[in-house]
Amino acid sequence: MRLANAFRLKPWVMGGAILAVVVLIVLPVASLLIGSVWTADGPTLGEFERALSGRLYVQALLNSLMLGGWTALFSVLIGVPLAWAVSRTNVPGKRLFQITANLSYLSPPFLTAIAFVYLFSPNSGIANQFMREVLGAPALTFNVFSMTGLVIVTVIHTFPFVFLLASSALQSVDASYEEAAQILGAGKFRTALTITAPLVAPAILSGTLLAFVNAIALFGSQAIIGLPARIFTLPTRLYSLFNYPPQYALASALSLIFVAITIAALYLQRAFLARRSYVTLGGKGSRPQLVDLGAARWVLLVFCMLTFVVAIVLPYATLIAVSFSKSWGLGFWHNLTFANYRFILFDYDVTQRAITNSLLLATSAALIAVLIGAVIGWIDIRTKLPGRKLLDYAALIPLGLPGIVMAVAILQFWLKVPIALYGTLTILLLAYVGRYLPLGVRAADTSLRQVDPSLEESAAILGAGWGHIMREITLPLIRPGLFAGWLLVFVPAIQELSASILLFSSSSMTLAVAVYNLYETGHTEPVAALAMINVAIIGVAILIAGKLGGGRMGRRVSASTERPAGVAA
Amino acid sequence: MAGIRIAGLSKVYDGQGSDMAAVNHLDLDIGDNEFVTLLGPSGCGKTTTLRLIAGYLKPDAGTIHVGDRLLSSENGVVPPEKRGMGMVFQNYAVWPHKTVFENVVFGLKLRRIPPATARDRVEKTLALVNLAGLADRFPNELSGGQQQRVALARSLVVEPEILLLDEPLSNLDAKLRERMRTELKQLQRRTGITFVYVTHDQAEALALSDHIAVIHGGRLQQFGTPHDVYCRPANKTVADFMGLVNVLSAKVAGDGVMLDNGERLSVAVPSGCADGDEVDLTVRPENVTLLPASHPEGALGKVVDQTFLGNIHEYQVTLDRGPSLRVQTHPAQRLSVGDSVRVVIDATACSAFRRV
Repeated sequence: MRLANAFRLKPWVMGGAILAVVVLIVLPVASLLIGSVWTADGPTLGEFERALSGRLYVQALLNSLMLGGWTALFSVLIGVPLAWAVSRTNVPGKRLFQITANLSYLSPPFLTAIAFVYLFSPNSGIANQFMREVLGAPALTFNVFSMTGLVIVTVIHTFPFVFLLASSALQSVDASYEEAAQILGAGKFRTALTITAPLVAPAILSGTLLAFVNAIALFGSQAIIGLPARIFTLPTRLYSLFNYPPQYALASALSLIFVAITIAALYLQRAFLARRSYVTLGGKGSRPQLVDLGAARWVLLVFCMLTFVVAIVLPYATLIAVSFSKSWGLGFWHNLTFANYRFILFDYDVTQRAITNSLLLATSAALIAVLIGAVIGWIDIRTKLPGRKLLDYAALIPLGLPGIVMAVAILQFWLKVPIALYGTLTILLLAYVGRYLPLGVRAADTSLRQVDPSLEESAAILGAGWGHIMREITLPLIRPGLFAGWLLVFVPAIQELSASILLFSSSSMTLAVAVYNLYETGHTEPVAALAMINVAIIGVAILIAGKLGGGRMGRRVSASTERPAGVAA
Repeated sequence: MAGIRIAGLSKVYDGQGSDMAAVNHLDLDIGDNEFVTLLGPSGCGKTTTLRLIAGYLKPDAGTIHVGDRLLSSENGVVPPEKRGMGMVFQNYAVWPHKTVFENVVFGLKLRRIPPATARDRVEKTLALVNLAGLADRFPNELSGGQQQRVALARSLVVEPEILLLDEPLSNLDAKLRERMRTELKQLQRRTGITFVYVTHDQAEALALSDHIAVIHGGRLQQFGTPHDVYCRPANKTVADFMGLVNVLSAKVAGDGVMLDNGERLSVAVPSGCADGDEVDLTVRPENVTLLPASHPEGALGKVVDQTFLGNIHEYQVTLDRGPSLRVQTHPAQRLSVGDSVRVVIDATACSAFRRV
């Protein structure tokens, strides 16, 4: 009609987001599929045959399953009691419980692994030295380079999944369900068994499966603990397939087997979570009565403190101690030094590049993932575009891809395209955005669903076009949600190792890779210094984000949802 | 001229998961400066009709004209932002991140009204809806009724020719609803804007409207003045929806009908009905009088239940050899369960419909 219609913003923005999903996710995954069945000699299933019959690969598969299984079991044994204590009992120090779970979740797993090596490596581990030489009790030593060691290090990172899901489920069960059982004559124990447990079981199972999926995907700890113990798992076996000469086809096949396990677990998880819906139906119901534990509450508190010490205090105290040591071992006070920090910050030329790269990558990947996520969420919720559900699913695919598999897929695709991206920051950015896009979509989705369509429609009838509505109404309303989504991507992105390890080059070095490489080359003490710098950056970023995100804006919008102001109607 | 002419309007939703009701071949002529209500139970298609008028939906068939301008047809719709209408939503849709002033001035900014003029108009409009002095508040600092009036002001400030209102009072408590009802009616008379008002509350529709369109099952059942719709319902559905009604079975007899107990009433016989055809007779509870049993007129009956409602007294009366009736009387008339009474039905206020 007029000039306004000559350039239509909406189709361009929507088209851009769809294209991004195709390039970032669909094409790499398609390349992975094709690469696994299509070799130079034509189509074949030989690679799958090799991956499923070769002793090396079957062993890696079994090790991964074993690791996942044990980790899931111990995540439940730690996560459920802590969750129950926090939400249903009068245990003191509830704040400590939350902090334990949050810090365990946030702390980079490969740093925990390195710290445990400092403590429990068979000969030089300081805890082992202490047992042997000071207590004279060699029976109390512990070899971290074992499946047990790997499970312990992994559980520290995965039990929060069970804790968080279980505690939110326990808190959202309407007390009247339980009270109804009690008035009919059921005792406390019977009520817990027949009413509460079935209501929260789906949430616990769902958390357990998430713990499993995350456990088997962690490259860092499996390389640091597993390789010296000669325990190969799927990520480390995949990694070794890229030693010269790289075996792309076999790697693709093995990746897909890995993906199959992950997706099966995630499918079950979603099925369980879907059944959870009735838990939250209680809505404004009364809060459950807290169980008076008597003296037993101190036992739970001690259990929590023990978890806190093993998961947080021990590893970080060790890392800090090592980072200030001339040479790691007994006699800490005699060899204090700042030399490691000086070396890492000023002499080691990789550090500054890695810090810059990681900050740049994490910041921009989080921003891009959230923005694309917002558009995809909008398309899914607000339009009738054919195939929008498909788009939504495509954007969620990376949830089922372990980091290293994402890297294999990206490599497969971009090596076939005549654009030289290998070894650049760009390919890392593509991998990060693709990998964390589901988080962006989720965040946007959740906040968009709370914005009633009438808020946009009322702007339209006053004469506002699409771009104007987005800028004036929709984006300001979902900004707090997008900000939370940004942080949700930023934190894992700044410590990303699993995908980066296959994609980095010396010029596109990232923080996590720098730590890993330094560790591999035996720089024991400087590694700890670099690790502490890594943690400091994550901490500062979270603090800044918390300050910005918790501002006036966020509070105002969340406050207004309590009234029928059109939001969440 | 801002009359709305709707012809043959249809909208079908296929598949489940849609909470929108269908509209089936709707014809409606809404005059300029009128207050018209679309009335019907939930799921009848009234909100769909309103959203079709607003341009949020594209019809599957039929047309919508405003004046001489074709706005919607199956071939396309003028988008909402180009229609120059106003709309007030059931949940108000007041933007929570903007102050009252920012909410109301939004449409004026889009129309590139100079800031000074815009401020002036916003203040005038806020005064019109009794919100003067609250311009700098955020919506969450306002009561439900105040938010409602912000939504009204936001629509009115751009001086639309047509204002669409989707159950705007349903989220308010009873007292406030009553007051807003009066304010809305006065506002419409004062501004002369054509109001199209959607509600499921028949009392609201009767109180507010110049004309009521009763919609049921996606079809227009009747379009007329409140008095017509209430007293001369076009069919049993309308009669049933507009307040309480007794439906009695009867047979056509001459130029009237005969009830099961043999009583004759001279009621207009539905066209095309012959002697002996079965009909439904609708009798409103307030059109029945209860007299002492000693009275010579009326059919004999017995009180079987009584409820005191304050402004009226409601009785359930069973006629000898006949049906049971709900009757509303003046609260001063006191009868007890078991009392014998004479029942007189005001035939002029009844309607007969052919039994389907």
